[in-house]
Amino acid sequence: MSAASASEKAPRRIDEATSEPAWVRRLLIGIALAFLAVFLFVPLVAVFVEALKKGLDVYLAAISEPDAVSAIKLTLIAAGISVPLNLVFGVAAAWAIAKFDFRGKNVLLTLIDLPFSVSPVIAGLVFVLVFGLQGWFGEWLRDHDLKIIFALPGIVIATIFITFPFVARELIPLMQAQGNEQEEAARVLGAGGWQIFRRITLPNVKWALLYGVILCNARAMGEFGAVSVVSGHIRGQTNTMPLHIEILYNEYQFAAAFAVASLLAFLALVTLALKYWVERNAASRRQVAASVEAVPT
Amino acid sequence: MSIEVRGINKRFGATVVCDNVDLDIPSGELVALLGPSGSGKTTLLRIIAGLEVPDSGTVLFQGQDATSADVCKRRVGFVFQHYALFGHMTIFENVAFGLRVRPRATRPDEAQIRKKVTELLKLVQLDWIADRFPHQLSGGQRQRIALARALAVEPEVLLLDEPFGALDARVRKELRRWLRRLHDEMNVTSVFVTHDQEEAMEVADRIVVMNHGRIEQDGPPDEVYDHPATPFVLQFLGDVNIFHGRLGQPAGQGGDVSFVRPHELDIVAAAVPGSIVATLVQALTVGPNTRLEFRRDDDQAYVDVEMPRTDWQALRERLGLATGSKVHLLPRRLTRFSADDFDPAAMI
Repeated sequence: MSAASASEKAPRRIDEATSEPAWVRRLLIGIALAFLAVFLFVPLVAVFVEALKKGLDVYLAAISEPDAVSAIKLTLIAAGISVPLNLVFGVAAAWAIAKFDFRGKNVLLTLIDLPFSVSPVIAGLVFVLVFGLQGWFGEWLRDHDLKIIFALPGIVIATIFITFPFVARELIPLMQAQGNEQEEAARVLGAGGWQIFRRITLPNVKWALLYGVILCNARAMGEFGAVSVVSGHIRGQTNTMPLHIEILYNEYQFAAAFAVASLLAFLALVTLALKYWVERNAASRRQVAASVEAVPT
Repeated sequence: MSIEVRGINKRFGATVVCDNVDLDIPSGELVALLGPSGSGKTTLLRIIAGLEVPDSGTVLFQGQDATSADVCKRRVGFVFQHYALFGHMTIFENVAFGLRVRPRATRPDEAQIRKKVTELLKLVQLDWIADRFPHQLSGGQRQRIALARALAVEPEVLLLDEPFGALDARVRKELRRWLRRLHDEMNVTSVFVTHDQEEAMEVADRIVVMNHGRIEQDGPPDEVYDHPATPFVLQFLGDVNIFHGRLGQPAGQGGDVSFVRPHELDIVAAAVPGSIVATLVQALTVGPNTRLEFRRDDDQAYVDVEMPRTDWQALRERLGLATGSKVHLLPRRLTRFSADDFDPAAMI
């Protein structure tokens, strides 16, 4: 009797088979949140606090100073060139790997990951060795009055190298999973190669592509190591935002350094917001597709 | 358009998928390629479509060599096993695709496209669905849209890869009849691949039975069923009892293997020449038929007998049969092959 009345008062909660005891859940979530706060949230807040510490005037002066403006411009130009190029390279590489069988496919797949596995400093040094004055093509380039190292082309090349895997890596698994059937269907219906790509393949991967581009852009704007080696740190000429921040910091101009850093951090936040939006869109599309698959015919 | 396949060979790595295949399909016929998985039937279909290139051999369309012709110039309609509808396009745009990708010179204008697509959607009885997306459709609806899309380019040959494979039993049955009617109306040469012998028997004018990349038999459904050319065909087209050279055979000819279909065995009360003694193990009634399982007294092999439920009820009354009863089984019709042709592993 008493058991029955007790169960009426508080209906027994039945946990799902896979859930953990409450204290385990709280502990794990607590650890994760504490970690996030210390390592991610506090530094992010610190950037903005430090940037505005000496007032808005100092902040605005720091980011409108000619060297800073030049660094911002250079960063945007470098990203503006390397991201579209990597978009094309990434799509081409993913297309080749996912849709065709050829010798050396695995080697290509491994090579695509090279920029992730190699230290950016080494990547920068490689380009100095190839294109620098002492390098393989150094004399030829000097004779033809072409400047790659310590100039914009070098920065763009280094950025392309570093950010190459993002688009390809994002597309390959998706394209492999989708298979060839829709392309074959389009082919039988009389579509040519370009029509198939534009009307079938591209629309099918557009969210993954956008996601890859966003990640690629984030890295292109934030890259320090490789660009630092090839740029030569010429103020007002070959300094990107990350390099400019480092110089300011080394000169004890903390407020100015943080001001420019806050801009970069802001760009990162915008990128994250975009990424979140893209992911949500892609996920909702997947859900619709999955829920319909489950409906019996 | 007639299709002729001449000496097609195809291998994937070490696996032979098509082994010197010859096949003639006259214009306007509806042909089933029937075989177990891995028998090469889908590969043959894809070679005819031009989606796969044969290692050697030729494919002729209307007497013209089409082996090296590009897929998009062959005027074939292909319906994929999982339909391959374009998920990001509406049903209307899916069906219109074949018209929209034509070169400008032969591309119909918007009004013509609209008219043609609406006609096709009416033909597959789905014109009310034009603005939806493929993921909002049921399997049977997707199947019909895939067919409408293939027909939009006015193909001379229609190829279907396991067209009903992914559908449930009831929808399957409906679509089979519908495909048969559609084919009779349109009169397009059609080839479909299936592993379901019932489907092949019900829909096709002619059945081509394939196994291990070779054609085992090629003929009308009745002929293939009643006069199987090989033990494989016999076994693939329906259940069968196997007797190893002892049934209705004088001694000394034991090298043969005899086959009897379960519905071609009679139960008799007393021994007659050619009958065997067996014990009833169990009786199962599924729908209108009863399946009886017997065990032979001489070699303990199982024998299946099938008969209409009402016949079984009458027989049970008359002979007083129950589980454990001894009866005599007499085959009405035997099919014999020499033991050399018989490969028990072929059925697995």
